[in-house]
Amino acid sequence: MPPVASNGIGELYLSAAEIRTRVDELGAAIARDYEGREPLLVSTLKTSVFFLADLSRAISIPHALDFIALAGYDGRGGGSSGVRLLKDLDTSIEGRDVLLVEDVVDTGLTLNYVCKTLSLRAPASLNAVTFLDRPYRRLVDDLPVRYVGFTVPDEFFVGYGFDLDERYRHFPDLRLLKR
Amino acid sequence: MASEVPDFQAYCGRGEPRFANDVELECAKLLDYYRVPWQYEPTTFVLERAADGSVVEAFKPDFYLPEQDLYLELTVMKQSLVTRKNRKLRKLRELYPDIRIKLFYKRDIQRLAERYRLDLAS
Repeated sequence: MPPVASNGIGELYLSAAEIRTRVDELGAAIARDYEGREPLLVSTLKTSVFFLADLSRAISIPHALDFIALAGYDGRGGGSSGVRLLKDLDTSIEGRDVLLVEDVVDTGLTLNYVCKTLSLRAPASLNAVTFLDRPYRRLVDDLPVRYVGFTVPDEFFVGYGFDLDERYRHFPDLRLLKR
Repeated sequence: MASEVPDFQAYCGRGEPRFANDVELECAKLLDYYRVPWQYEPTTFVLERAADGSVVEAFKPDFYLPEQDLYLELTVMKQSLVTRKNRKLRKLRELYPDIRIKLFYKRDIQRLAERYRLDLAS
């Protein structure tokens, strides 16, 4: 791993306060829209866990949580096998209102696969909330992203769950990483 | 010519794709991994014809994603040649306004390579 200079851990892009304010707004909107429906929030491990924890606490209505994990594409491994679930849901989603909790929607490839997979299980509804939306390289447009935290430019971020080789997830704010 | 072609699952074109370089191959593998149906160079768009009807200029985007109705062109060219490609893309959009197309530049491919650890030897 290349060395990171002590002052190279990014410049502040979103403060913890700005993130909290926006997450509270999202939580209020979700509570309003899903009143009486007890939605199931499904988060993809790992990056979105930080967002999920804050979002869940900002949603005042009853709701449940579950997690999935996907085998991400790694070109170094040849990339010849298809995407698959490394960890599936613990609960059935048939007839339930499902809200996918994403860290970032970029190309849309991952969310597209998750939506297609979960749609086959007959949820009552399937929508997504994403902390960051980065539409610059979007390849799949027809995605049920109903809530967006922040639309961001084509930059690399760390903090608030986002990492560089598993480091810096713990920062409470979002930082633009100098590369 | 690109490296050995894997056994694709989401390819929905005709005939075996013959990629011009490893960047196109890696992009195909990425799309295939996420089971996004894709075709390779399925359409040639005529941009200019001579008086006798012969084709003077044409543009054949690298990929077509039928579920998204989206063409995707990749380029790793140096800046001087990108300008020419940009011009062709502008012309295509003027002549075929209903066609949806994205151009991924070298920087975009580098970002994808970082994000997905693409094996870009060339």
